[in-house]
Amino acid sequence: MMAGRTFGSKLASGFGLSVALTLLMGTASVFALTVVVGAKDQVITDATEGLVLAERLNTTVESRIGNYRAFLLGASQKSFDAMTADRARFLDQVTQLRGMLHNPTELALLDTVAQAEARHAELLTPVIERRKTITDLRSTAELQASALGPARQALQDAIAALTARVRADVAAASKRSSTRATQAVALVVGLGVLAIGSAVLVAVRLSRGLRREVGTAVGHIRSSSAQLEAAAAQQASGGRDQASAMSEITTTISELLITSRQISDSAQRVSKIAEETAEAADNGDATIDQTRQSIAAIRTQVDQIVAHMLALGEKSQQIGAVVDLVSELAEQTNILAINATIEASGAGEWGRRFAVVAEEIRKLADRTAGSAKEIRALIDDVRGAVNTTVMATEIGAKSVDAGARQFDDATSSFRRIAQLVATTNDATREIELSTKQQTTAVEQVNVAASDTARVTRETEASATQTKQTAAHLSNLSSELLELVGTGRH
Amino acid sequence: MSPAEVSTIAERIAGLRGEFDRSFTQPARRHDVEHVELLSIVAGGRRYAMRLSQTSGLFPDRPVTALPGPLPALLGVAGFGGTIVPVYDLAALLGHALPERPRWLVLAAGAPALALAFHELDGHVQVPIESIIAGTFGARDSLGGMVSLPGGTRPIVDVPAARAAVYQLTGHTHLDEE
Repeated sequence: MMAGRTFGSKLASGFGLSVALTLLMGTASVFALTVVVGAKDQVITDATEGLVLAERLNTTVESRIGNYRAFLLGASQKSFDAMTADRARFLDQVTQLRGMLHNPTELALLDTVAQAEARHAELLTPVIERRKTITDLRSTAELQASALGPARQALQDAIAALTARVRADVAAASKRSSTRATQAVALVVGLGVLAIGSAVLVAVRLSRGLRREVGTAVGHIRSSSAQLEAAAAQQASGGRDQASAMSEITTTISELLITSRQISDSAQRVSKIAEETAEAADNGDATIDQTRQSIAAIRTQVDQIVAHMLALGEKSQQIGAVVDLVSELAEQTNILAINATIEASGAGEWGRRFAVVAEEIRKLADRTAGSAKEIRALIDDVRGAVNTTVMATEIGAKSVDAGARQFDDATSSFRRIAQLVATTNDATREIELSTKQQTTAVEQVNVAASDTARVTRETEASATQTKQTAAHLSNLSSELLELVGTGRH
Repeated sequence: MSPAEVSTIAERIAGLRGEFDRSFTQPARRHDVEHVELLSIVAGGRRYAMRLSQTSGLFPDRPVTALPGPLPALLGVAGFGGTIVPVYDLAALLGHALPERPRWLVLAAGAPALALAFHELDGHVQVPIESIIAGTFGARDSLGGMVSLPGGTRPIVDVPAARAAVYQLTGHTHLDEE
């Protein structure tokens, strides 16, 4: 029934049961005492009031009889008043007793007393009247009071019977009260025995449960202590490894910090160079405009060169025409000289002299023709050179145009480079800023790593302490097992 | 023109002037005895020489009026000083005619009048008489000797023999001595 409940709840249940039984026992004792006290009070009340009033009835009757006899003897008003007062007090006491008594038998006896007293008073009243008329009493016989004796006796007997009855009732009540007190004592004793038995049972069960559960718990504690010790040893070992690793990490982070600072410096230099590059690119725009003007001037010069070369070609053609004329003249001169030689050969001595002159003329004509041929060759060379030059110049002009286009491309590329340089400059600034932030972050990481290394060392020390504590705990569990008396663990 | 070429031309001018001046100082040499005047010509793509003494005139680009006839060597007739002269292709006479028209005409000395046409005139040269090797070459007998000239040895066209060959072509068995 108590399986699965904690030892504390078991203990609380046991003590609760004992306390409940004790409370029940106390409540029963109080109730029994109250009942007993009530019974005793009733007995005492009956004894003190009923019995006293009954006895007091007898006393009042005796006092009235005394005062009656005194009145009979002396016929004094004082005695008469006292006698009247005694009767009034007697009636009053009867009334009190009627309110106090509950037993029908006693009430019947009280009625008997009242009737006896009324009979006695009825018999007494003529006697008193006669005594008032007698001034000198010589004999009691004169009073004619012989009937009073039995009436008085009957009254006294009735009072005595009532008193005896009341006394007997008091004794019975006292006996009943004693019986109830005995019953209450027996009830209290029984409840006490029950409480003691339950307390003993609870103690036994708690002791068994304590031994069993504490033994099991201590066994668990011992195994857990062993595991905790092993874990603490492992944690200490891991803490040492972690501490060394954290040391390496700290060293690495320090190197990383140095590298990060170098990167930051490099980024600053790159940013400065990028700014200088942007400035140079701005200057390059002016240079580009100058270069474009120079290219246009070169193009104009090339056109002029082509025009001059074409003019030179025309002039050389004209020279060639003149040379052709000279060649024609030389050929004709040559022919004339040959013909003159032929003619001179048939003209005797003069003809021979003329032939000599003609020979000279022919030689001159030959030389003139040779020179004209040379000039023709030279002119052809010149024309070839002019053509070559014109072609080369036109190629150069096309190259200049292509160069101008390429220069335009290069200019656009250059401007794009300038824009990219500006973008690079912005990016470099961002890199510089990021690198500074990174450096700060790395410094923070370095601090954190140092803290972590310190914490790791502390953890290692704590693990060692934990290991020692686990060993202590194991010893303590053994001692606790010995204390609870279970040696099986 | 490079300075070297300019100096060469200046030297040539000086040489020409000196030679021209010397021509007036040298004595008149024996024209016929010591030297032979030759025309170096090209006919039908081959080089020949021709004695100037066997000619009576040289003419370029003379109009030739073609004549119908069976002789392919007869190019036609041309007028020289009021005389109609038949013109024969020298290359055809020598047996290696070319389709292109000859430019030059040379009048043969003697009679009957005859003009021989050839393609190119290389020039007029004087050679020592010793350099001429006499003899006849080939079957047509139109060549008389050989001469060594700058550019190679040339056969010498014998103009009278050529006239005789023309006569043979035209059906005459012997040359008439007029």
